[in-house]
Amino acid sequence: MINFFKQGRFQQLLIRWVLVVVPTVVIGYITLRFLNFSYTSLRTGIISQTVYFSLGLLLAYSLYYFGARWIISLFLLWLVYLLFERIINRLPGEFDVFYATARFQLYSTLFFIGWVFGLLLVRLRWAYLILFALLAIVTLASTSDTVDISLSYILVHLLPVVVYGLYLFFLSPLLTERINIDFKRTRKFVIRVVLFVLLVLLAFVATESLFKGELKAVEKELAARGAKGKDGKDGGGKNKDDNYDDRNGLMDKTDDGYRLKDTMRVNSKMSQSDKLMFCSRLDNYFPDGQPAPLYFVFHYLTRYDRVKESFTRDINVPSLDEIEVDPAKIPMYYTYVDTTIFRKAMASKLRKITEAQVYLSENTWKHAVLGPSSVFSVQTIPVEKDFQKTFLSAYRIFSFTSELNNAYFVYNISASPSLEKIQEQRHDELRKVRDYRFVDRKFIDYYTDTPTGGIYDSIYNLAYGLVSKDAKPVDKVLAVRDFFLKRNENGKRIFRYTLKAGAIDDPNIPSSKMLYDFLFKTHAGYCTYYAGASLFMLRALGVPTRFTTGFATINRSDKNKGWYWFYASQAHAWTQVFFPGYGWIDFDMTIGNEDQQGAPKPDGTPPLPPPEPWLVLNAKAESVVAERKQLDASFNSLIYFNNPYELNQTFTLPIDASLCRVLYNKRDTTFAAIKPGDSLIIVSYKDEAKKIPQPMVGATIEAQVRSFPKPIIADEIHIRGKEIEKKKDNKGGKAAKPQEKTLTWQEVAWFTAKVASGIVILLLFFPMLYLLYRLFRVASASKGAAKADQVYRAALYRFHMAGIERDVETPLEYAQKKVDPILSTTFEEFMRMYLRLKYTQQNLSADDHDIIDRFSRNAGPSIRRKNGFFKTTLNYFNLLRALRYFQQPEPAPEIQSL
Amino acid sequence: MSDKLKTLTSNIETIIRGKHQEVKYVVTALLARGHILLEDNPGAGKTVLAKTLAQSISEGTIDFHSANGGVAFKRIQFTPDLLPMDLIGSHIYDEAKKDFVFKKGPLFTHVLLADEINRASPKVQSALLECMAENQITAGESTFQLDKFFFAIATQNPIEMEGTYPLPAAQLDRFYMKISFGYVSEDVELDIYTNYLAINDGKNTVKQVLTYNDIIQLQQEAEKVYVHPELLKGVVHIVQGTRKHQEIALGCSTRGGITFIKCLKAWALVNQRDYVIEDDLRALAQPVLHHRLIFRNREASRTALQQIVDHEVNKLSKMGIKAKK
Repeated sequence: MINFFKQGRFQQLLIRWVLVVVPTVVIGYITLRFLNFSYTSLRTGIISQTVYFSLGLLLAYSLYYFGARWIISLFLLWLVYLLFERIINRLPGEFDVFYATARFQLYSTLFFIGWVFGLLLVRLRWAYLILFALLAIVTLASTSDTVDISLSYILVHLLPVVVYGLYLFFLSPLLTERINIDFKRTRKFVIRVVLFVLLVLLAFVATESLFKGELKAVEKELAARGAKGKDGKDGGGKNKDDNYDDRNGLMDKTDDGYRLKDTMRVNSKMSQSDKLMFCSRLDNYFPDGQPAPLYFVFHYLTRYDRVKESFTRDINVPSLDEIEVDPAKIPMYYTYVDTTIFRKAMASKLRKITEAQVYLSENTWKHAVLGPSSVFSVQTIPVEKDFQKTFLSAYRIFSFTSELNNAYFVYNISASPSLEKIQEQRHDELRKVRDYRFVDRKFIDYYTDTPTGGIYDSIYNLAYGLVSKDAKPVDKVLAVRDFFLKRNENGKRIFRYTLKAGAIDDPNIPSSKMLYDFLFKTHAGYCTYYAGASLFMLRALGVPTRFTTGFATINRSDKNKGWYWFYASQAHAWTQVFFPGYGWIDFDMTIGNEDQQGAPKPDGTPPLPPPEPWLVLNAKAESVVAERKQLDASFNSLIYFNNPYELNQTFTLPIDASLCRVLYNKRDTTFAAIKPGDSLIIVSYKDEAKKIPQPMVGATIEAQVRSFPKPIIADEIHIRGKEIEKKKDNKGGKAAKPQEKTLTWQEVAWFTAKVASGIVILLLFFPMLYLLYRLFRVASASKGAAKADQVYRAALYRFHMAGIERDVETPLEYAQKKVDPILSTTFEEFMRMYLRLKYTQQNLSADDHDIIDRFSRNAGPSIRRKNGFFKTTLNYFNLLRALRYFQQPEPAPEIQSL
Repeated sequence: MSDKLKTLTSNIETIIRGKHQEVKYVVTALLARGHILLEDNPGAGKTVLAKTLAQSISEGTIDFHSANGGVAFKRIQFTPDLLPMDLIGSHIYDEAKKDFVFKKGPLFTHVLLADEINRASPKVQSALLECMAENQITAGESTFQLDKFFFAIATQNPIEMEGTYPLPAAQLDRFYMKISFGYVSEDVELDIYTNYLAINDGKNTVKQVLTYNDIIQLQQEAEKVYVHPELLKGVVHIVQGTRKHQEIALGCSTRGGITFIKCLKAWALVNQRDYVIEDDLRALAQPVLHHRLIFRNREASRTALQQIVDHEVNKLSKMGIKAKK
């Protein structure tokens, strides 16, 4: 008896394995698959992951099913752990123990998760709720990482979890009691489930095809939202490009990022802005290894606009050493070089090339290059994943900088004597320039051009009084500097630094009137006052000068040498003075302000520098195998050991992206975001193991490309263009903008209503479809019993839908008492024949065939005769009636005559 | 043969008006070699039905075991003071033989009308048990075999009435069917009133239409009626269903199930068929099974069995034709 009980119990367990454990393993596999797409750290082979998960699940489920105590399970877990540890410790030396340990951690975690799942499933009746929630969260979390998030994408990924939840929901009441296997019932159940699934599929397909356009639109909106949500900058970024050339003044028309104008306004209002603009690593050091910061130039303002009474940017200026490129438009890892900058810098002495990496935060204008003066090369680089929250984009620049330039030099006073000494050396060096005799006259005229008139003249007169006209240029500059540093008889400075100068409404370059007031009355102002005033004075003295906007560089800590952080409050304006042979040299006349310049600002953690790429393919995805993280890419241009090439033919090579970082809009995403047809930048870092051949001298690039390994192991893939994005761009800003925002709840409701109405329509037609199905079965049935069977079924359905509903009576009674009196068909005759066929072993006689034929021919017309064609058709839309037909006590499975 | 059945039923119906179904039930019980219990208020026509049936199958004289192959008919009016020996018979001392001889009682017959069976004491009721179940009578040391054709029609008044002894469950189980008459419709009643005197006058208007041999032959034929395996399964489901039903305290016994099948066969024959159909289950479940069950409440007594049967019949009616060679 005990034995029997145990056997029965074991059988029950087996049944539960099939019913519960197997589906859970399947859902575990699916979820792990999603996770593997999104997280590379899991990379150990999905099969083995699933095996460990299911091992834990199965063990826990079986143990707890037999009522194991948790002590036992704890002991078992400990045993398993011990075993694993033993194995790892016994590993042969050449085996990578670290790898094994990492794997062990992953596997033991999966095993434990499986264990918990098993425990919950056995012990908790509502376990499916917990599991459903858990799985849904995990799935959502792993899918939400992707960029091109769409409705169908979410649905498809959530579907398995939902199905699993529903399945357990229906199953859970069954599990509490003994399950008897009844194969007939099982088949019935399977048939029902299959039919249900087909219906759902049909509904899905119908709605999809009916509302394809709308779905697409919604998806597009969702995608746009997703992209926007990921980085706010992209939304309106591209349509601003038209305005880019109009960079007059201080970016008057920019409404993207943080305006320099605004930073000054903020300054002027004494509200210290802590907004991080960008950070930079600058490879510029003193010979003793101390970092040598350089001011970061944004734009040069060269021409004085007499109408506006302000300096403006002028791109037609002779020899403007400002690089004209939009870094946002340079493909990843590509370099834009403008060698004319060397010439335009008009310098030959004491110049060097300085490298800097600039990481831009969302507050910064991303379409212009920020860097030490005379940037000649810009290369876009990716931002490390951990820093993407802070920095949106980055580029590496090379500048043709003067050794005489240094943030310490340009501070007009310096705290330390050693720096003063260096300053003095610089001025001595510059004293070698006596005058501008050998410089192009046009150039000098342009940069010494000054307006004339009452106020201006008084400024010039002030300048003439400071220094003799024959003095060396640098002495003139120093004279102006000293003018601002002058002290009164009490030993107090005459000029003060204040942010309250001038009208609050005018944060721009102060007008001549304001400068006049500054110089002769208030003696108080901020950087633009000093810069503006000194510019007028220096130009009046015949020294070529230009107004420079940018950022003051402050070296705050020695922690990260060479790293500088730039906050909004560091926005600055100063003057650059031209010295023949030395080029443009920074001079900052602004009076020091402890509050501002010394304001303690925290330095952040510097972003990791990107590895050196050996190979950058500008490619197009041809085919993508998401599971194996492989793709085929075609390309005809590439960067190979920092040399860009254009190929004379298009190559298609396989790419292994299993270890790869995938970025879209400079944001990390998953491999699943890559779709065939996307244009990609595929990067492979410097790494001997990747077997990328060193460039061969003399070989054509095409020949070298042919010797590339197959597949090429990629380290980074940047998704550049998406079809949707391009379309949006074409539409133009105004059309695209409202579309982005307007996925309101009304639209969601409207969409939902559409889907619902699709389902309703389908349901409405369902009785009709079922009739057609029944008639089709009649038509396709072979003659004889099977035919009789189908005729019978069709007749029952048609009579029911005609309004003659069978209650509890048997079909024979139904025929006798209900159908025939109303419709006068030969239903009773048919029924008698049918019952005889059904319940005897007799074969059909010729008469029987006649009866079947007569009835099947008669049934339809008799209904139409009674109800009329219109009403008969209308009756098939009576959903409630159809529902009643299907609600009748469950039918036995249909058995075909095979 | 089916003609003879038709004449039998129509013959009875010349006397019993508007009770087509009930007549068929009685004939069914007869052909299934069973017994039937008619329950209704006094005056519904129970006795007349029993008598008419007996007359239709026996020779003109209602007498015990006529030698010429006819059918004997006995009627016992049950009263509270009736004793078992009044039914079975008793040993009487025979002066001539100087020995006790057994004087057979009224049970030794073919057709027995046990009128108002529930008015007799349980002792008497149980005396019927043996002969109804095993077709034999034991008195003292000797056992007497009854004829293979023994058909008991019992009538009873509803047990709520005074001076009745409810039949024991075992006894009820022996009856293949229990049917209640109910009142006839207005038209039929009028017809009865206008024609009853005439019938009453001509006592012998009921002819004998079936002989003893006919009945034996019909009974044998009933046994040969084909029952489809699915229908047998249906019977099993119904029987099992009565055991599992929450409102039924005591379900149907296996003997009940066997009886049910026997009755189904006979019923099919009565309806001129040599096979059983699903409708038969519905028609017979109530008279064959209802009195075997003990219900927990009055409501269940009305609906529970019907639910089970309806469900099963519906299942059968949805079933297609099984594979045919």
